[in-house]
Formats: sequence, C-alpha cells, structure tokens
Amino acid sequence: MNEQAAIDPVETHQVAEFKHENPLTTLRVDPTSRFVAAGAQDLDVQLWSLEDGKHQTLKGHKSWVRSIDFSADGNQLYTACWGGGVKIWDLKQDIPQVVRSIQAHQGSTRWVRVSPDGKRLATCGNDLLVKIWKIENGKLEQQFEGHQRHVYGVDFHPDGEHVVSQDLMGVIFVWNLKTKQKERTIDAAMMTGYDKKFAADMGGARDMQFNVGGSLWASAGITKVVNSFAGIQDPIIVVFDWKTGEVTRQLRADEKFKGIAWGIRFHPQGFTIGAGADKSGKGELWFYSSDKEEAFHTFKMKTAARALDLVGDDRLAVAHADGNVRLYQMAAQTTEAKGESE
Amino acid sequence: MRRDQDCNGIDHMIARRDFLVGTTAGAIGTTAGAIGMGTLTSPLNAATLEKQQKRVLQIYLQGGVSQLESWDPKPGTQFGGPFQAIPTSVPGMHISELLPHTAQRMHLLSIVRSINTKISDHRQGMLYMEKGRRAGEFPYLGSVASKYLASAESNLPGYIHITKRGLTDSTAAFLGASHAELALEGTDPPENLAVPDSIDQSADEAREQLRIQFNRRFTQQRSRALTDVYNSSYDQAAKLMKRKEMFERNVAEKDLDRYGRHDFGRHCLLARTLLENDATCVKVTHHGYDTHAENFNFHLEQLGEFDQPFSMLLDDLHQRGMLESTLVIVYSEMGRTPKINTKYGRDHWGTAWSIALGGCGIQPEAIIGKTNQDGTKVTEREVDAGHLFHTYLSAVGLDSTADHDVFGRSIPIGDPAAEPIKELLS
Repeated sequence: MNEQAAIDPVETHQVAEFKHENPLTTLRVDPTSRFVAAGAQDLDVQLWSLEDGKHQTLKGHKSWVRSIDFSADGNQLYTACWGGGVKIWDLKQDIPQVVRSIQAHQGSTRWVRVSPDGKRLATCGNDLLVKIWKIENGKLEQQFEGHQRHVYGVDFHPDGEHVVSQDLMGVIFVWNLKTKQKERTIDAAMMTGYDKKFAADMGGARDMQFNVGGSLWASAGITKVVNSFAGIQDPIIVVFDWKTGEVTRQLRADEKFKGIAWGIRFHPQGFTIGAGADKSGKGELWFYSSDKEEAFHTFKMKTAARALDLVGDDRLAVAHADGNVRLYQMAAQTTEAKGESE
Repeated sequence: MRRDQDCNGIDHMIARRDFLVGTTAGAIGTTAGAIGMGTLTSPLNAATLEKQQKRVLQIYLQGGVSQLESWDPKPGTQFGGPFQAIPTSVPGMHISELLPHTAQRMHLLSIVRSINTKISDHRQGMLYMEKGRRAGEFPYLGSVASKYLASAESNLPGYIHITKRGLTDSTAAFLGASHAELALEGTDPPENLAVPDSIDQSADEAREQLRIQFNRRFTQQRSRALTDVYNSSYDQAAKLMKRKEMFERNVAEKDLDRYGRHDFGRHCLLARTLLENDATCVKVTHHGYDTHAENFNFHLEQLGEFDQPFSMLLDDLHQRGMLESTLVIVYSEMGRTPKINTKYGRDHWGTAWSIALGGCGIQPEAIIGKTNQDGTKVTEREVDAGHLFHTYLSAVGLDSTADHDVFGRSIPIGDPAAEPIKELLS
C-alpha cells in the first residue's frame, strides 16, 4: 500500500502487471492482500503473491474458472468452474493443494462465495439452483429452488443469515438460511433485455457485492439491449437498499461505451467503483460518488476488464481480456515514480 | 414489349406428374419425352418415390451455430471454450454438453465435421448451403424437393418454411413459383385463409371460376409467367384453405410438455403436423446463433431451446416410421471462429465447421471428416456445400448429377464440380 499519497480516484494509474498467456475470466484478491488469484480461458488458476510477485499455476479444474473467493485469513481459496466443480485449496502450503472437490452443479457453477463466518460456501449454477455447502466436510447443507432461468450470481449478506441470488432475467431472490425459505423477490428487470432480432434474452449479474455494513448491495451487468449478439448494450451497476429492496441508484457509463459491467466494489471511503468491457475490446474503470449516477471519473484501459477487486484501500486489481492482471493505484504518482515512468 | 419477369413458368412446361409418367412409362413423345429424359436421367424411382413419399426436414440454425459448441467440441484446447464434450448413444462419438437430448439420439444421425465453404458471410453462406452453388440463379434444396418429390396429389405446398423473420426469400429460381417456399410466420396461419363469412361455397367457386377465366384471357397474348405466379399463389392458398384445421387445432398438452411452450417447440410441432400431412419439404428456422458477443451464454440458451424439441421431433418421426423416408438436416450458413474475441464471442467462419443429418438415405452413426486439434482447419475429407447438396438429393433417391430441363436447356441439378459424400449414404 502506498501510504504516502492520499486516495484520489482521479489520479488512478497503473502500477503493476502480472502476465498470463490466455485471456482472464475472473479474479479475486485475498482479504489480507497477500494474493491475487485469477481464472482464464484455460483449465488453471493463476495465483500471484502481491508481496513478491511469485507466480503459481493451480491445476485441477476441467473447465474455465468462472468465480473465485478467499477465506478471510487468506489461507483458503475457493474456485468454481464452468464444468460445475468447486475446489477448496489450502494456501498455507508452499505448493497449494486441493483440500476438497465438490461437483456442485449440473452444468456450470457460475459463482462461489464464502460466508462471513467462513464456514459455508454459497454457489449457483446452470441447474437453476442455489446451494449452501459446509466447507468442513464439503456436504450440501441447503438447496434453494425457484429461479426459472440460469442463475448468474450469489452472495452472502454480511449478517450471515441471508443469501441473495440473481438470474438471467433480473429476478433476485433473498433466501433466509435460518428458515430455509425464500424471503423476498426483487425485480431487476432493467438488467435484462430481449434481443428481438436474434430472439434471445441477455442479462444476469456479472458481479455482486454488499457494502461493509450490509445496508446496500450492488449488481453489475447490462441494460438497454440493442444488439447483444454484437455486444451493443449499455453497462449498468444497480445499487439496492437492503432493507426495502428498492433500487437506489443506476450507475451508468458514458453513452458511447457499449458493453458489459463486469465488476463493482464499494470503497470504504464511500465511493463506488465499476469496471467494464466495451465492444471495441477496450476497458474502463468508473468512479461514482455515493449520491450520483454519473461517474465523477472514468479511467480508460487499453483492454477489456473482466473482473475487479480492491487491494487494500488504495489499489485495484483488474482481470483483463489480454491475459494480464493489472494493478492500479488510486492516488497520485509520486515524483519518483513519475520520473521512472517518464 | 415483354416485361422482364422473374419467373419463366417453366414448372408449367414440366409438370411433375408428366415427368413421372414419362419416365416410368418410358414414353418418348415429342415434348413429354424430351422433358422427361432431360429432367432426370435416371429412371429412378419415380414409382418408388411416389410410393414412399420422400420428405425433407431442414432445421436451420440461423446465424451460424458454433461447431465447437455443438457437433465438434474440443474441450481443454486453446479455443475449445468452457463446455464439455459428452458421450452419445454412439460409442466413441462425443458432442457438446449443450445437446444432452440429441446426444442420446445420435444413433439416428451422422455428423459432417469437415465443411470448408470458404464463405464467412451470412447471405452468401446461406445461399451456398441452400443451392449447393457458390453463385447463380439456382433453386434452393426445398424447391428442388418440391419439384421432384412432391406428390401431384399433395394437399400442401411442396416447400414450407416456418420462421419468425426473413420471410421474403426467392427460392425457386427457374423451377417456378409453384415450388417457391411458402413462409409461415411462426405457427400463425397465413393471413386471410378463411373464406369471408359473407361468401358461401357456391359464390366462392363462382368467384374462382371467374378468376381463372380472366387469367386465361389475359395470358392469350402474353407470357404466362406473370399469371403463373398469381396462379401458384392461388393454388397454394387453396390448398392451405382446405387444410386450415392444421393451424386451428389445439396442441395437446402432453406434446407441449415434451416439445416446450416456446416458439421453437411449437414450430417443431407444426413441422411434425405438416410432415404427417404430406408436406414434402419443411424448413424450421431457429434464430439466434450469430454470437459475436457472449457466444457461450447465448449458445447455452439457444441450444438449450433447440435440443429437446428437436429430439422429440426426431423421436416422433422415428416412432411413426417416417424417419426412413424423411431426410433430416441440421445446418447453418457457416460455423464460428475457433478464436474467441474480447467479448467472449466467436465470429463468422466458413473454413472448418459441421452439420448433422440423418434419416432417409443417410448412413447413421457416421462421422465424416476431421478438423485439427484447435479446430482451425479441416484435416480429413474436406467437403463443401456442393457436396452436401448432392448428398441430400442422393439420400432422397434423386440423381443429383442429372439435369433440370429449362426450355430445352439442360442445367445440372447439382454442381458438376462436386459429388455426393458416398460414404454417408446408406
């Protein structure tokens, strides 16, 4: 962490790059900021040490890794792939080992998230199910049915008693883990669209996150479908109020940007960060204040962003379609660094 | 001054009934004999064709289905994408996991994995696949089927296309308007199918006679081409009016359970009904495969919609004993690039792609040709749309190397530079 410069998103700039040979699909930074792990358009997980740049390749999945999470202490890694498998990795060893493999869903497992108490995993998949697993033994604890279309995202509320899931059609369910029942249904229809020309639906959550207190959550994806088969639709990040389920803000990119919002993070200082991929293949980071729907700053990137995470408070990790993880500092370059870059 | 007309009425010079009679009886009359001999040189099967009523079912996956997400999966390779390959009912044959129902019926089908049309354009690719020719005014497969396979007594137009859009294709070329596709917009009947309430049957018949009389007078000093088009339209409409119950009948709940309640499920059910009622060529278009972005999510959705109804239709044709007389083709105008773009899309690709086919005249369980490990080129038994066109016609018992006879001019039915894929024929 750069402790010498104050956080200022307007001064965002690239500070590091980790290279991989295939386009990346997702990434996650561990909560202790020691590791960044990424999935790619191959069968492996790429793991880099953020402390010394050491790189390891974790093998074992039978398809592209679609979603990643870490335990709070950063000692366990959870990965989910399009083949339906979820793997739990022990990162305490020099060479990370698979602790447990779960065939979580029939078809793709699109998302995996660890519970706030670190004891459970929530997954969702193309079998239309949301499942809760015990990490300790890999056993299925709860299973929720109700989605009629493919489930794109799932996350635990910070209270640990609820799970939110969102499907292709923008249907959001809140599941109560104590009563084991669906508690609420929330409409995010603005996050789906029917492509009339090609007669197909497009939508779904491409990233989800709660804020620290759990009073809000946000979902990243698409809106205003024009020709989604050519990638022509608008990115959107929708912010929901947890208590009411109401949409509080719909965060947009510049109207010239056509594509998908692939990442969203609430920053502890109150602003919100989004990341997206334009149909041209370029990417952008968007920074929003807590009361506006237009970005107060847009940072342009040379390749599409496919996932976003915070590294501490001052850096962002972005998974790019060119195969690289890039780190971006949300602060002014020091005079020394400027000199080096020049 | 004669107008430049798009239809020359040749179909009326070579009525199918005349052709069949001429060929089977070996008659060599001044006109009929010449036409008969020139049209199909093989005596083939005129009687047999009529008896067996060969049919064609085309399932057109419009936009270009990805061969890697369907018939030629390559999981774990550089461009293989995220989906797995699954075993099928044919030992050793694997297809994409997106087709689980079809996979269990692959013993009824075969795959051609080595198509190189060299065309990466929707329109040109579609025309090549339909006509078996890279260029020129040639009839579509469905029009050829209508011309040479349709029974003269058929109560339905010979070539019916069920689609939600793209309704204006000109398909018959020199075969004439009566063999042009009749496009149905989904399961809706054509407009104005019913006789108005204010007109009773005798008035309707009198009206029709008057129309015929006017037409006859009109054509006396003119080309018949223009009136042929009109007459064909009236003939088709008349046939449909007699069979309008096909559009009115309520679809059984159990069929909807099996086929699905979405458009494509209902379209497949209508195709089954039409084929059961003597339709000769039925084409069903399923849109939504032009996946320049989100190829994997869209193929998951689209093939998920295709898989079950297609399988049910295959089952029903098989169980009704119709599959051996019905050629089934699942095809696109091209495939999709192995390389995945930054939008998770695959682009247009005519270089190395696949189709599936089965039923009448097709050797089941075959895999024709091969692509390399990454799917970037054909490595064995390269074929193109010309070969496929010959194969389709051969499968339904037609001599694809014979000629159309157009005003005494011979025009090869299939591209002379191509030939049937013989090892695919049963």
